[in-house]
Amino acid sequence: MQTMIFLAILQALVLLAVAPLFSGLSRVLRAKMHSRRGPGVLQDYRDLVKLLKRQDVATADSGPIFRVMPYVLFGSMLAIATVLPLVTTRSPLGAAGDLITVVYLFALSRFFFSLSGLDTGSTFGAIGASRELTLGVLVEPIMMLALFVAALIEGTTNLGGIGLGIATGHYVSPTAIALAGAAFGFAAFIEMGKMPFDLAEAEQELQEGPLTEYSGSALALLKWGLALKKLVVAQMFLGVFIPFGQASEMTAAALAFAAAVAAVKLLVVFLLSALVENSVARGRFMLTPKVTWIGFGVASLAFVFYLTGL
Amino acid sequence: MENIALAAILVPFAGAALTLLAGQKAAKWLCQLFAAIASICMAELAYTYAAAGKVAHTYLVAAVGDTTLFGLTVDSVSVLIGFAVVVLGFLVAVYSSAYMSEGNREHPHEGTPRYYAFLLVFIGAMAGLVLSSTLVGQLLFFEITGGCSWALIGYYQKPKSLASALKALLVTHVGAIGLYFAAALLFAHTGSFALSGLAGLDDSAKTLIFFGVLFAAWGKSAQLPLHIWLPDAMEAPTPVSAYLHAASMVKVGVYIFARAILSAGHVPEIIGVVGSIMAVATLIYGFILYLPQKDMKRLLAYSTITQLAYIFFALSLSIFGSNLALKGGIAHIFNHAFAKSLFFLVAGAISYTCGTRSLPALKGLLKQSPLLGIGFCVAALAVTGVPPFNGFFSKFAIFAGGFEVARTHWMLLPLVILAMLESVASFAWFLHWFGATVPGETSEVVAASSKVPLAMQFVLVVLVIMSLGSSFIAASWLG
Amino acid sequence: MNTLPLVLVSVLLYVAGAFASLLLASNERLGIRCAGLAGSAAALAGLAASAPALLSGQTLDFASSGPFPFARFVVHFDLLAALMVFVISLLALAASVYSLSYVREYEGRGAWAMGFFMNLFIASMLALVVVDNAFYFLIFFEMMSLASYFLVISEQSNEAVKAGFLYFLIAHAGSVLIMLAFFLLYQHSGSLDFASFRHLHLSTPLASAVFLLAFFGFGAKAGMVPLHGWLPRAHPAAPSHASAMMSGVMVKIGIFGIIRVGVDILGATTTWWGLLVLAIGGISAVLGVLYALAEHDIKRLLAYHSVENIGIILMGVGAGMVGMATHQPLLAVLGLLAGLYHLLNHAVFKGLLFLGAGSVVFRLHTKDMEKMGGLGRRMPLTALTFLIGAMAISALPPLNGFVSEWFTYQSLFTMSLQGSFLIRLAGPIVVVMLAITGALAVMCFVKVYGVSFSGAPRSPHAAEAREVPAPMIAGMALLALACIALGLGAALVAPVIAHIASQLAATGAIDVASQTLVYPGSATRTALSTPLVAILLAGGLLVTVVLGGLYREQRQKRRHGGDAWACGYAHDPRMVVSAGNFAKPLREMFAPLYRLRQQADPSPAMRHSLSWLTGAASWMEPRFDDNIVAPMLRGIHWLGRQVQRLQHGDFRIYCLYIVAALVILIVLTAA
Repeated sequence: MQTMIFLAILQALVLLAVAPLFSGLSRVLRAKMHSRRGPGVLQDYRDLVKLLKRQDVATADSGPIFRVMPYVLFGSMLAIATVLPLVTTRSPLGAAGDLITVVYLFALSRFFFSLSGLDTGSTFGAIGASRELTLGVLVEPIMMLALFVAALIEGTTNLGGIGLGIATGHYVSPTAIALAGAAFGFAAFIEMGKMPFDLAEAEQELQEGPLTEYSGSALALLKWGLALKKLVVAQMFLGVFIPFGQASEMTAAALAFAAAVAAVKLLVVFLLSALVENSVARGRFMLTPKVTWIGFGVASLAFVFYLTGL
Repeated sequence: MENIALAAILVPFAGAALTLLAGQKAAKWLCQLFAAIASICMAELAYTYAAAGKVAHTYLVAAVGDTTLFGLTVDSVSVLIGFAVVVLGFLVAVYSSAYMSEGNREHPHEGTPRYYAFLLVFIGAMAGLVLSSTLVGQLLFFEITGGCSWALIGYYQKPKSLASALKALLVTHVGAIGLYFAAALLFAHTGSFALSGLAGLDDSAKTLIFFGVLFAAWGKSAQLPLHIWLPDAMEAPTPVSAYLHAASMVKVGVYIFARAILSAGHVPEIIGVVGSIMAVATLIYGFILYLPQKDMKRLLAYSTITQLAYIFFALSLSIFGSNLALKGGIAHIFNHAFAKSLFFLVAGAISYTCGTRSLPALKGLLKQSPLLGIGFCVAALAVTGVPPFNGFFSKFAIFAGGFEVARTHWMLLPLVILAMLESVASFAWFLHWFGATVPGETSEVVAASSKVPLAMQFVLVVLVIMSLGSSFIAASWLG
Repeated sequence: MNTLPLVLVSVLLYVAGAFASLLLASNERLGIRCAGLAGSAAALAGLAASAPALLSGQTLDFASSGPFPFARFVVHFDLLAALMVFVISLLALAASVYSLSYVREYEGRGAWAMGFFMNLFIASMLALVVVDNAFYFLIFFEMMSLASYFLVISEQSNEAVKAGFLYFLIAHAGSVLIMLAFFLLYQHSGSLDFASFRHLHLSTPLASAVFLLAFFGFGAKAGMVPLHGWLPRAHPAAPSHASAMMSGVMVKIGIFGIIRVGVDILGATTTWWGLLVLAIGGISAVLGVLYALAEHDIKRLLAYHSVENIGIILMGVGAGMVGMATHQPLLAVLGLLAGLYHLLNHAVFKGLLFLGAGSVVFRLHTKDMEKMGGLGRRMPLTALTFLIGAMAISALPPLNGFVSEWFTYQSLFTMSLQGSFLIRLAGPIVVVMLAITGALAVMCFVKVYGVSFSGAPRSPHAAEAREVPAPMIAGMALLALACIALGLGAALVAPVIAHIASQLAATGAIDVASQTLVYPGSATRTALSTPLVAILLAGGLLVTVVLGGLYREQRQKRRHGGDAWACGYAHDPRMVVSAGNFAKPLREMFAPLYRLRQQADPSPAMRHSLSWLTGAASWMEPRFDDNIVAPMLRGIHWLGRQVQRLQHGDFRIYCLYIVAALVILIVLTAA
């Protein structure tokens, strides 16, 4: 029991530490695809240090929500990071590792993220908030349905339990799991906020959306938190649908092997997402539903396959 | 008990004679005095009856040889209804003393002795009809009430009033043919006019007699197809409308029907079938005719028609074997009398103070006169059957009884459901008019209204209290 | 003290408070205080009565013959009744304390009437949930609608009166449907007692007819789609503490009725009943929150959210009913547990939100969100409690809304694991609806809180707002603390509600909690620990604070001032996003569902038929006189005129008549 708690805290801190590394990696990949040299994978660490030394400025209209949001976002991402199955097949803290809990923890961060956009009185923040929430409405059903189909197949809504089931080969219908995984991966990609779906930040249109008015240490924490969010979302996808390599016993060897496999998997995911995001332009916001309907369609197809048992 | 009952009937007649002879000033006080005495007599009768263990008695008053001509029936039903009609008569007399005056903005007119005398005769006739144990007795008082109603409806002696009065008299008299026919047939079969003789007859005779009684009842209670006189009878002064067309005259019809059922033991089911169908038809027709009404009293007239249809329905259901429906119907006679009188007297107060009875012209009544606003509200809720007011309890019993018998006679179920739906529709309509009339900003007519006299306020308050409590009285009295 | 006497004391205190308010109509200040204090005392009595009953699990009965021979006055205080009494009393306590200051707004404008009707309203709800006889049930049900009708029209404006009319009409129609259902049961059992109904074994068509009548009758009171039209008009019209009671408790009476009849009396024996409840629950949830998004009147918005949450409660109840019909005790208990827990939670957070909205309206005298703004800094306590309520209703962990939605998901999951094709199809569909609802609710409440409490004030009233008086804060704080307690204390609350559920479903005890965990039947399936989530969040916050403290010495102090960035232009208050625009993209994306509102609206058709009927009646009215009586009279006059021919006036002809008559008679007698 104590080992699990220790593991949970450790995995959260590790993810916390490497999050800027992965976002730096994305920057370098983008640069490479743009035929540039790029700033180096450690650039985001340097950016964070620089920002932490800068003054924090808030608009006259902003209130306590604006102040508190980076902490809530970061805090909820850390909370999610502790319960995800990263190196173990079971979730380290099963009592909070239910898929519904995790999805709603994401909702918690989305709630405060959007609320701060309104809190500043800034137009860009507000529109960014509106877009973020709309995207949440379009994406959450896909996530829920895909996870639910997987849960039904494995007989539990616990993330670790689903992962364990898939890892040990309990699938009623492989096609259903594959389709559900595809749908969830699609939804996760949207959640990661990468192009073509970075609608909340939308640098060129919305001047960073809800991030507009943040500066200094608050911006540093916010950027770090968002980087952690990308990592956490990716890991959620991997931990549930591609759990191969995770340790089933708590031996040092298995854990080390699992850590290495996890790192590799995350790298592959970020590589693929970098490839996708740099090949497309930002989507038109009002046409996003058409795209999300496709994701929902795939998830529904997974459900149909599950029902009919093919 | 026989003497108290006779006193209750005869005192108002004596009072009427005295009132005619007295001058205009004394007339209204004499009327109230004699009505009060009659009420006290009825209360005394009720008390004596209850103290004696609520045992029904029939007394002989006049007979020719073996033929009973006139008699008195003192049982739970007659005492209850008798009490209601006489006490309401007293309240109407008190109300009239204030209403029939120059302060009335719609009909400024000082009440003449003629008015008060006819009112007293009416009270006496009603007491007589309710306590009567023979068909001839009922017939006698039936015709007396017809005559009084002609006099009172046409009281203002305008062409329209006189035409309406004549119409009322003729239509109810046509209805009376049924009662004449029934009395004759009863005499032919039993040699007497006593209602108790009904029980021993065979089915075909009973059927014919009942049809006669039913026809007369329809006429007097303004049911389809003899309903045409009631809306036009609203030409009468409003206290008269309240008494005749809410509390007493229209109750004559349902009462004679109820008395016949009570006396006959087993009643042929065809009567129940015809009664139910006509009652529900009247119910629906009455509701549809609510819709174009803009005159408050005409709306209330149609409402009376539908509520009486409920009572007819209840009595018809009781023929199929539901005691609950019978009790509910009789309780509804009692409850409706108070609720509808309240409504009419509120309408009267409105026309007294504002000078109009037109519903679209009225708004913001509550602000100007809280008593009238509350009275309107209570009356509307009581008539449409919303608890805790009295109408709900008797209507519930009627519906429950209907469902009871619908178990074995499933054709009755659609009729009961129709009645329930009509109840909702009536409620909606009255709620609509309540919302348009009582809350909100006052309209010009209401803003310019005068104050309600003390006597009228007193009567309205008493009726509001009765609208809350009468169902409990009826339920515990009937057992 | 014993439970039943305490319930009686509670009812009597409410009635006393009502009459105190009535009698003190001339001294409204004192009257408001008396009504509020009496209500609070009564609520405390109610809590004291129900809490021990809930914990001990006992059922209490009482019977006496009332004044009416056809119905006995029976009281059946089972666990469901205890829960309802608890919910009513908790909210009544908050609302009564709140009213001590709030109703002062209405001094001189009918405050005495408000105290009177409010207390009678609560008393009739309390009486309603404990009686076990159809007759008395209906009486208190109607009295509840009557009292709340007067609260709805208390403003006496045209809109309020129209809203009240629609409300009372639908409520009354609903109660007639319920009456029909009870009468059908009475027909077969011969008595109006619920106990006699419970022992009936009805044929499936009859039981289904009874269920459908009761479902739509109580559903009209609960405000489920398609009978919800009155909610968004009636709840905003009433004063806010009354809206809190109506939205928090009265609509729950509808759910209570559905459970009483469908589950307790009829036993939920048929599967399609549960599926119907599920379907309507899902549709109500999605449409409710979607329409809420389109509103910018804060109270109308909250009213639509009640429709949504009723939908969520019905989802749980439906799943439970399916479980009962398919003989799956775990599913039955989980579903009912989810429904009842959400009933409790929604009462608490919706009451809180309405009281918060009332506080805002109290200061700003407007319900339009477009005129609010920046209230977070001017009314900090109201803002904080409103935020807690908003988080609770958006089902954010670790608050109470999340726990009941978690249980709802678990019950739907359990339902989808086994059963017929239809059941396994329905489960995930409803899950998707619930997920959409959750996301939409988050959006809606970000909008509400953001537009009302955050940013800059949008009107002079908003700029001058102050915090509300202490009693109002106390009322809101009580409910906010309850939200937190019901969330963190889920492991203590869930077993109690599970016990209620298993009593209703007539199953054995199902394990749902241990230590700080709650779980659906067994912890090996999955589990939730709200304290753990809270600790993780707190821990995460702590880590973040530590990280934020890095390099603190090297940076300047935080600066708070200046305008928002507007691309180099001067920031203008009109640049700020309004409530309507915030949700506009979503409204366009879901446009067909919004159009549904107009297409499915029955009022034009009803108005049309009403005017046709009125025209027909006007035509009909004179027919009897014109077509029957007048021709008869003409005929009689004609006959009279013909007979008049005999009267020539010439007496010699009359002599001739006498002679002719004599001759005829002689001939006849001779023959």
